[in-house]
Amino acid sequence: MGPRPGSIRQVVLEGGRVSQVATEPIDDSGLGPGPGGGPAQQIVGRSPWELFWRRFRQDRLATAGLIIIAIITALALAAPLFSSIVGHGPNQTFAREYPAGALDDFGLPIGPNKDFWFGADTAGRDLFVRVLYGAQTSLSVALLATLISLIIGVTGGLLAGYYRGKVDTVVSRLIDIVLAMPVLLLALGLVSACGTAEGCMGGFFGFLKPGWKLVALIIGLFSWPYIARIVRGQVLSLREKEFVEAARAMGSNDRRIIFREVLPNVVAPIIVYTTLIIPNNILFEAALSFLGVGVPPTTPSWGRMLAEGGANFTFAWWMMLFPGMFLFLTTLAFNLVGDGLRDSLDPRMSSLRRKTRKREIAAQTAAEAESPVAG
Amino acid sequence: MRKHLKLIALAGVIALAAAACGGGETGDTDDGDQADGVQKGGTLRLNLLSDVISAFDPQKEYYSVTWEFYRCCLLRTLMSYNGMSTEEGGTELRPDLATALPEVSDDGLTWTFSIREGVMYAPPFEDTEIVAQDFVRALERTADPDAGAGGYGFYYSVIDGLDDFGAGEADSISGLNAVDDHTLEVTLNRPAGDFGFRMAMHATAPIPDGAADGHVQDYGRFLVASGPYMFEGSENMDFSAPPGDQEPVSGYVPGQSITMVRNPSWSNDIDDLRPANVDRIEITIGGTEDDNALKVDSGELDMQFDGVAPPDQVQKYQTDPQLEDQLFVNPSDAIRYLTINLAMPPFDDIHVRKAINLALDKDSMRRIRGGPTQGELAGHIMVNSLQNNLLADYDPYETPNGQGDIEAAQAEMAQSVYDTDGDGVCDDPVCQNIPTNTDEADPYPDQAALIQQNFEPLGLTLDIRQFERGTMYDRVNDPNTQTALGLAPGWGKDYLNGSTFGEPLFGSVSIGPDACCNYSLVGASAEQLADFGYDATEVPSVDDKIAECDETTGDAQFQCWAELDQELMENVVPWVPYLFDNYVRTVSERVENYTFDQFAGLPALDHIALAGGGAEG
Repeated sequence: MGPRPGSIRQVVLEGGRVSQVATEPIDDSGLGPGPGGGPAQQIVGRSPWELFWRRFRQDRLATAGLIIIAIITALALAAPLFSSIVGHGPNQTFAREYPAGALDDFGLPIGPNKDFWFGADTAGRDLFVRVLYGAQTSLSVALLATLISLIIGVTGGLLAGYYRGKVDTVVSRLIDIVLAMPVLLLALGLVSACGTAEGCMGGFFGFLKPGWKLVALIIGLFSWPYIARIVRGQVLSLREKEFVEAARAMGSNDRRIIFREVLPNVVAPIIVYTTLIIPNNILFEAALSFLGVGVPPTTPSWGRMLAEGGANFTFAWWMMLFPGMFLFLTTLAFNLVGDGLRDSLDPRMSSLRRKTRKREIAAQTAAEAESPVAG
Repeated sequence: MRKHLKLIALAGVIALAAAACGGGETGDTDDGDQADGVQKGGTLRLNLLSDVISAFDPQKEYYSVTWEFYRCCLLRTLMSYNGMSTEEGGTELRPDLATALPEVSDDGLTWTFSIREGVMYAPPFEDTEIVAQDFVRALERTADPDAGAGGYGFYYSVIDGLDDFGAGEADSISGLNAVDDHTLEVTLNRPAGDFGFRMAMHATAPIPDGAADGHVQDYGRFLVASGPYMFEGSENMDFSAPPGDQEPVSGYVPGQSITMVRNPSWSNDIDDLRPANVDRIEITIGGTEDDNALKVDSGELDMQFDGVAPPDQVQKYQTDPQLEDQLFVNPSDAIRYLTINLAMPPFDDIHVRKAINLALDKDSMRRIRGGPTQGELAGHIMVNSLQNNLLADYDPYETPNGQGDIEAAQAEMAQSVYDTDGDGVCDDPVCQNIPTNTDEADPYPDQAALIQQNFEPLGLTLDIRQFERGTMYDRVNDPNTQTALGLAPGWGKDYLNGSTFGEPLFGSVSIGPDACCNYSLVGASAEQLADFGYDATEVPSVDDKIAECDETTGDAQFQCWAELDQELMENVVPWVPYLFDNYVRTVSERVENYTFDQFAGLPALDHIALAGGGAEG
């Protein structure tokens, strides 16, 4: 059998040696090929993406994470809808006595009930609506920040890894400097300085005035080194591969090589690490808001809600529970999806794959023991 | 929700009662000694969240907590108060170290005080009698810019020659004359009807010769007492040593604890004002409000002295018949308000200022703060006791239930130059992003959200910045910051006279970053306005009326200050007043005879007593 289009599968042989083998028939039974093996299989070629998706689906935790992300995103997008259903705006205070408002005669907020599904906070605002708008904040800040760090990180990593030399030195030192900075302190300072109505540095592209975009920019500026380092490492090893040499021999210029040969092979780790950075950015935004220097107070944020909830925990536990739960689930979900992506896209990195393959090898050698292997 | 609280409280009680019963009783107690049915004896246990401001230096301490410690316990003054509430005469000036109220000359410029004979200081000065020269010494220290830094020396500029002495231009204060050991004659440079009140503050408390020498910055740690109590360990202070070598008194450990014990030189015979029931007062410093509330619940602590009682604790005590008598609510003679900068558009138009007075939901402001227990809604500026309740029902911007009246507010706004189409909504860009500041601590951010919401229908949007309290006050006091609205200030009287709400708040001399505390710029001159960067060239002034009222005496004072209040509320509108504050306190079960000292606005520690003389398991 000659090589077929389809996956290059890896086989872990006895002794731990890894060998790349040409395609084999896909056998869902987990048993190897051979006369004593499973039923005759139809050979089906599957694209890498289909394979990736099948593997991902098999990972139950990752699938659960994906579902959670989908639900929270849907809730975030539907926040204005829910707001009009319950009739409470995200910043609307109901500081009268229940039922006209949400505070009792001692200023204590009411807990979850039919009008305030997650209860109210100490200003009489509807916590359910605020948590949903908080999801909007967390997701948009994290995604924009990740996009910014993606653009900067991939560019930097590609240039540093491919050109090496001076370019690499500059980029690597930049990476070192940014990684060495006391991130939270600097972010605090930047947001405080630029977070006023006048903004700073002339309102650079409209980013440096107060708002969630400023926070996203600052977070992105601190996260890009993680991606840059991964990309740089990948590119450094890829540029030595034969196909790059072949492309160079064929006369491709640097730009073609970077975009046509190198970049597509870096996409997989980029996707994985990008997904894993998102929860960090969510937490970063929450931390800044918790400390009072994140998004402006009129923008609901889980971090600030946690800070407010902590101070009032003894009599208003819901103020801490619901934002905390949502923050935890969102972060967990992205982490699970990121792990699942890593397992599914890049089998070499996966311990899951090794376990499955060990089972397959064991069955195969058992089958081979009964009949000679075809040459 | 109440069930949760009860369970937590119950668990707390069980856990802590076990610990509390272990602690024995200390000090000598006159077991069962009673006077007027009140038990004497025992150790009172208090907590302060924060230490006093200037380490008990009487010339520097401008802080009500320290003022109470002075009045109840450590220092006597020529005049003082009985440590009770307004209804029980707590605002009346009474002689303390003086034998009677002062004699005032016809022109109001000479005040003569007769001093009690045979009153001795606490150890280590137990053989030294308190004499007239000791008061002169205290006022000289007050005039000294170093010793008096951060204090209230400005109240004594009215004494002839005091400012010259402070500037180093004279060797002594010409207006102070110790005629003999027991007569002090004070000459003023202008009539001041409230001068008696100024001699009831503790910058004027007598200092024995030699005690404060060399202690310009830290005399508080070497304080020589004259009241019913002194710092523990006072007898060990050695003033014969060079000041730099002296050991501070052991009963005050800054940041950690304050311990006061009975002053052996004092007795009830020489003091008509203070029962001084407990034998010993132990104060710990630190902790959090919630922690200490639990300790009060369990009895480990008798009272949290400063800070605010947590709202859930107040609710528990107010609604439980067994705990009701451990909750005390008293008016603190302080007001909370929004301050308006008269020179900043759109507030340079009086109609806008009146509109926001009508728009604010004061009831909800109070509810966010803790509800009706927290005080009375304020319809005018001066606390009612300052005017003898003359304006108790005066509320020119009254709204139904105090919850704001948007239609009335819009009707007022429609008359403003900033509402060109008269629809009640501002259409000038100057109404957007109005620079506003507030305090970052609870409940001010929550109140800020409410205020935003109340002002929106008028077309006003606020750009609110939150600051730490001290910074907030500095900024709203500094006209250079161009803050249009301040959402978090409060003002309490220094003593019970309208003058404490007059010049400091609305006099033109009180404007500027180095002065205090005319945030609204009432009476600012054209030069001042230009200096601070404003386009406005004039603002209303009440300087004349303040000067008139400062000089009136007797009952006429109340009427004059009431007229000033009305003038301010109707023709100047520098504020949106919303709450006359209460002081709400919970105490442990064994605390008895709680009285409220209307002077300091805090519980009177010289009246408080402990059940059974403080003996307990």
